[in-house]
Amino acid sequence: MQTAEKKIRTVLVVGGGVAGMSAALDLAGSGHRVHLVESGYDLGGQVAKLDKFYPTDHCAFCPLWTEIRRCKESPSITIHTLSRVEALEKSNGGFRAVIAKSAPVIDPELCICCGRCETACPKGVAHPIWEHAYPPVYLIDRNRCGDCRTCVDACPTKAIGFERQEQKSELAVDEVIWSAGFTEVSLAPLKEYGWGTHPDILTSLEFEAWKAESGENKGAILRRSNRAVPRSIAFIQCAGARDLRLLPHCSAVCCMHALKQAQWVKRRNPDIHCVILYTDLRTVGRDYYEYAMREFGGNGVRLVRGRPSLIYPLPGGDGIAVKFEDTSTQKREIWKFDMVILNGNLKPTLSSQAAGEVIPELDGEGFVRRTAMSCGFVMEPSDVTESAIQASSAALRSITDKN
Amino acid sequence: MARIGILLCNCFGEIGRTVDLKSIKARLEADPAVDSVTIVESLCLPGDAAGAHSLIRERGMGKVLIGACSPYGKMEFVKLGLAKEGTDVRTVRTVDLREGCAWVHGKDPEGATHKAANQLDMEIALLQNMRDSKDIGIRVQQEALVIGAGPAGLSAACGLARLGFKTHLVDRGSAPGGLLNVVTRTYPTDEPGPEKIGSLIKETGKNPLIRFYGKTKVSAVKGYAGDFKVSLAGPVGNTTLRVGAVVLATGARILFPQGLFGYGKVKNVITQMEMERRFATGAIGCKTAVFVQCVGARNAERPYCSTICCPLSLKNAMRVMDENPGAKSYVLHRDIMTPGSVLEAYYRRALQKGVQFIRFDADRPPEVRGQDQVSGVEIFDTISGVSRSIETDLLVLSTPFIPDPEATALARMLNIPVDKYGFYAEVYPIHPMETRNDGIFICGTARWPVSSDQAIAQGEAAAIKAAALMGNDTVSALTMSRVPGGKLGHAFADAAACTGCGNCVAVCPYEACRLQRTGNRSVSRVIKVRCKACGSCVSVCPNGAMQMPEQNYRAVGEMIRRAFREVR
Repeated sequence: MQTAEKKIRTVLVVGGGVAGMSAALDLAGSGHRVHLVESGYDLGGQVAKLDKFYPTDHCAFCPLWTEIRRCKESPSITIHTLSRVEALEKSNGGFRAVIAKSAPVIDPELCICCGRCETACPKGVAHPIWEHAYPPVYLIDRNRCGDCRTCVDACPTKAIGFERQEQKSELAVDEVIWSAGFTEVSLAPLKEYGWGTHPDILTSLEFEAWKAESGENKGAILRRSNRAVPRSIAFIQCAGARDLRLLPHCSAVCCMHALKQAQWVKRRNPDIHCVILYTDLRTVGRDYYEYAMREFGGNGVRLVRGRPSLIYPLPGGDGIAVKFEDTSTQKREIWKFDMVILNGNLKPTLSSQAAGEVIPELDGEGFVRRTAMSCGFVMEPSDVTESAIQASSAALRSITDKN
Repeated sequence: MARIGILLCNCFGEIGRTVDLKSIKARLEADPAVDSVTIVESLCLPGDAAGAHSLIRERGMGKVLIGACSPYGKMEFVKLGLAKEGTDVRTVRTVDLREGCAWVHGKDPEGATHKAANQLDMEIALLQNMRDSKDIGIRVQQEALVIGAGPAGLSAACGLARLGFKTHLVDRGSAPGGLLNVVTRTYPTDEPGPEKIGSLIKETGKNPLIRFYGKTKVSAVKGYAGDFKVSLAGPVGNTTLRVGAVVLATGARILFPQGLFGYGKVKNVITQMEMERRFATGAIGCKTAVFVQCVGARNAERPYCSTICCPLSLKNAMRVMDENPGAKSYVLHRDIMTPGSVLEAYYRRALQKGVQFIRFDADRPPEVRGQDQVSGVEIFDTISGVSRSIETDLLVLSTPFIPDPEATALARMLNIPVDKYGFYAEVYPIHPMETRNDGIFICGTARWPVSSDQAIAQGEAAAIKAAALMGNDTVSALTMSRVPGGKLGHAFADAAACTGCGNCVAVCPYEACRLQRTGNRSVSRVIKVRCKACGSCVSVCPNGAMQMPEQNYRAVGEMIRRAFREVR
């Protein structure tokens, strides 16, 4: 290869989850420079918050930890955490981007995670950002903060500052790759799912955090209402998705996600009766269908094809009723469960409604149109493997011109 | 021998208030192997790394031991900071004094101090006894080989060429294109298959960096990442190439449904590929077309979904209705597999167009009517719970992709694993194009059933991975790994102690150990580039001939001895 001719490009990657990190690492590996912008405290995205990930059933965090460290190690990757792209415009054949970096009360660079702020705070609003955060860093919930500033003196590294301001910086880049991932959509508009009416009706990501081995229950499967062991759990698929009222798309990851969660419930406590209510069991990746077949077999997870028409808490806290038609028997059923997990409320993160935010052209469902470069869930609902593939493909396209 | 410099972090009292750092310092200073012990307040705050680095340099510390927090705390950032300052972190060892000692044993300061001292002692033993794996540099061949010229292979070859690498594109067929050559329209855009890859084929012909070898097969591959020696057998005879990376895009076959649903006996029971060929020769005239999904798939023998058959049937069902006004299309399915936004919208389009979907149970598959010519299908509709009889003059069977036996044989030659069906297996879901054997990348349907669009994306993904490997003229065996900070080292076979039993060869997951004839006996040799420092060979060697220099027997033995030593 004629290295002399190679033009080193600078690429802005927006979103530091699996997709963004993969794209950044591939670009850096090919000798190009990357600005990786992440809105959260650190890289890892949604997958880093998962307890387990399919199809390996491994902890989600460890493989990501390696990727996060490789990103941090690379001299070609500049990481902008707690940042967002505030403005973006075309200039000189490339782009000029304004990056706004927010300043949390506790500076993550200075926090050593000693927890003295947590001890000092009279209102209990200082806590680690989340269990798996790497590195572990504290935050102060400003909404509930009493502004007493006790924590400021308690902090040994002077990491706490209430007067810090957002900082802006300007970048000149050759290309932009959007990889902002997905966010949860509120299921409140779809009243039949009963989300928000009872603590035992959870979205699947809420349940993932609730059941996490590193979470507050140390992996025990408990009801959120009374911390009793549930006798039965229903997993409701396509809740919000494949629904023209909310999200027309299929989220692509929920079937496997429910199968994974049901399997983990069974592994933790085989006595809990698990039922998955699905529309189509979409298991297209490597060994995904076999993964689902495990549920049909001795594992005791029941798969029922049907979509609930109504989910409502029973009076007196005696569980949740799920009304549906079992389409294999054509019978209308009302089954009682102790917990209901709703799957499918995932939408691409970028939103054309956000004021002042500069974003690429989106299609009617909120996905980035192919006129811009993107990968991961903002491009098309995709899991870890698909995101990594799309990311590498986008990385290549961002540094080459099609002949 | 280089003496050891020790840095102990107080972490603003987080460590020091439980672990008695002063007594530990006094004890360590008495150790002749120790050069100096410095207690610092912090190591992870801005400026600390520079301070620590200059201290290390001033004192001429050959090896450094740091007692601070856990790697899941800030320790990795401390090491990263030191590395960026210029410290050689391969000789820096760390001990977790905060989470592992001070915090968990907060109520037992004496015990915590004891544990801290023991762990520091162990690491001193390791630093004293560790030896260096001799690194080697490999001259990386700046050319790539792509095997298979379907959508994935064409895309990989074009990607590599666009990145500036000379690429050899090999296919057993006479022309590039693969299966797409016979697909008259691709979903969801209805773009004809040959057009979809037409631009890639044109680019292949135009770009002087790509050389296409038709009717050619790979007969042998030797070597390792960065330097493979490949033998090709083709119409012009045998060719030998030296390439830095290999991309496998060998594609898959489609199951031939002999004996299923009357296929082969009853006329007008055809496969999807036969339907494509009929479309290619003109419009398909029929009043009703029935598509049966999951023929030979998602069963006990092939418990997988072939990804493309549902959208393929949607496309052809709509096309039959377009080309034959008044015609009906039925799709008999077990689940409609259209994940995502694009395919789900495609499914909605088919529903709006009037394609009829009937769901059946795997236990009650459809039955075909008709002796010589298909006349109808009997199907039990699980959703309405009734049996239906559909008159039809065309029955299309959706059969899955199956691995190509030739591809599986190639995997053996290249020393990469296949899954239980015979598709190429990746190293981990986050690294879907990479295989256990560095330098060999997989993409397309040979890896797992995918659509042509996905195959093209995978080809590009494989191309950039291969390019990253070939990006440098030389690559060092120690840095060539996905491990942050490079790998620990590589195993070393002591020829004097080796009896040639071959245990290491049998156990090595990366085929890095091999027996070599020296004089009248065989001894083990380690291919450093392939070794991943897993230590499997060390644990099975009966003679102690296999060693990891960084963590050799003497070092580990001394560590274990010190782990249980009483300290005062």
